[in-house]
Amino acid sequence: MQNLLAFLTRYYHWLLFLLLEVVSGVLLFRGNSYQGSVLISSANAVTGQVNEWSSSAEQFFGLRQLNEQLTERNIMLEAELQALREQAMADSTDSVQNKELPLLSQYRLIPAKVISNQVNRPDNLLTINRGTADGVKPDMGVACGQGVVGVVYMASEHYAVVIPVLNSRSHISCAIRGSNYFGYLVWKGGKAAEAYMEDVPRHAFVDRGEWVETSGFSAIFPPGLTVGRITDIGNSADGLSYSLRIRLSTDFARLRDVCVIADSSFMERNTLLTQARDSLSQTR
Amino acid sequence: MLIDILRRLLIGSVFCLVQAVVLSRVRLFDCVTPMLFVYFVIMVPRGYPHGLTVLWGFLMGLAIDTLSNTPGMASAALTLTAFVQPYLIELFLPRDAEPDMKASAEAMGWINFAALTSLLVLLFCAAFFTIEAFSWTNWQLWLASVTGSTVLTLILIFTCETFRRK
Repeated sequence: MQNLLAFLTRYYHWLLFLLLEVVSGVLLFRGNSYQGSVLISSANAVTGQVNEWSSSAEQFFGLRQLNEQLTERNIMLEAELQALREQAMADSTDSVQNKELPLLSQYRLIPAKVISNQVNRPDNLLTINRGTADGVKPDMGVACGQGVVGVVYMASEHYAVVIPVLNSRSHISCAIRGSNYFGYLVWKGGKAAEAYMEDVPRHAFVDRGEWVETSGFSAIFPPGLTVGRITDIGNSADGLSYSLRIRLSTDFARLRDVCVIADSSFMERNTLLTQARDSLSQTR
Repeated sequence: MLIDILRRLLIGSVFCLVQAVVLSRVRLFDCVTPMLFVYFVIMVPRGYPHGLTVLWGFLMGLAIDTLSNTPGMASAALTLTAFVQPYLIELFLPRDAEPDMKASAEAMGWINFAALTSLLVLLFCAAFFTIEAFSWTNWQLWLASVTGSTVLTLILIFTCETFRRK
């Protein structure tokens, strides 16, 4: 007994070292295997606040550029509005218009600011300053003025962590604008501006420079949100489908203002789908 | 002892803030990040309770992990570094070293201090990036990250050491 005690007092730092390494290991595998705790992440209140301060300081210095971008965007939208107005005047009896109006009114957009952002890790995450108190829930889509950003992974009261396109776990369903061939968007690490669209059927006609948009199948994003442009056409690993290299339209390195798409009909579809799956698995 | 703990807590929080707000956002050539907070562990003097050193390393790593969304990575690597520090410091002692010698360039001499610091920072970076990548498929990137981050961190630490209060 005395020997044991002597041993323990002499080598207690070894035990402590091993114990703490085990704790770190637990954190590592829990935190990175998709069930990360809200406590040890940037979604908790203290680190959220720190990140918010630093990002607001950063934002202040970026205001000039932001202004330029906004002006540019404004001009573009103005032109688009003008064109649409003319089109509406030309065919005001079109029935499509009446169909799309109620569809658009279903969307509720929650504006949010990115307070912490990563682009160079193998699996990036970003944090926004809106949480459950503002109506943000997990599995909602996040977009910005330039295109898709990602999907809300978890939300605390005032902050939420988003899995952006630049994460190996992100699989966003998308389609080629015009031809509507669909596939899913994955990121394979490396450059922050490039992702791949997988599972595009081999009989599809694709061309470099064509636009890719969300397909609307995923119950997270509405159809038609810009994803990016095709820069290269390659084969998938098994050779059964095309793998298209996409230049993302969203500049993740300079992401500031985003919108959470809180759309009741999408959420409803999602719950319906889950319920259907549950009942199917019960009858089996 | 209490004053020492409070002092280390204060220094530690300053390192955390600097790392989270400034240094973690630096990413040169897509792979190099300065890891100044290793300095916190290197600074622990000779003869400091070994278990307490390990605990400081873990706590510091945990704080960094929480701030930069890397659960477990920095804490595992920094605990290892803190565990090795008391053994390594014995290898780089000047001739008439006091039992509670500070781990600083002034007390140890620049050459000893530089050797100790380089080994510890290299160990930390190697451990950190190994845990981050968790595979050897992209070993060129791993090598670049480890070398680059070690060099950049060392430059920062030596700069700080020059201005350290005597």
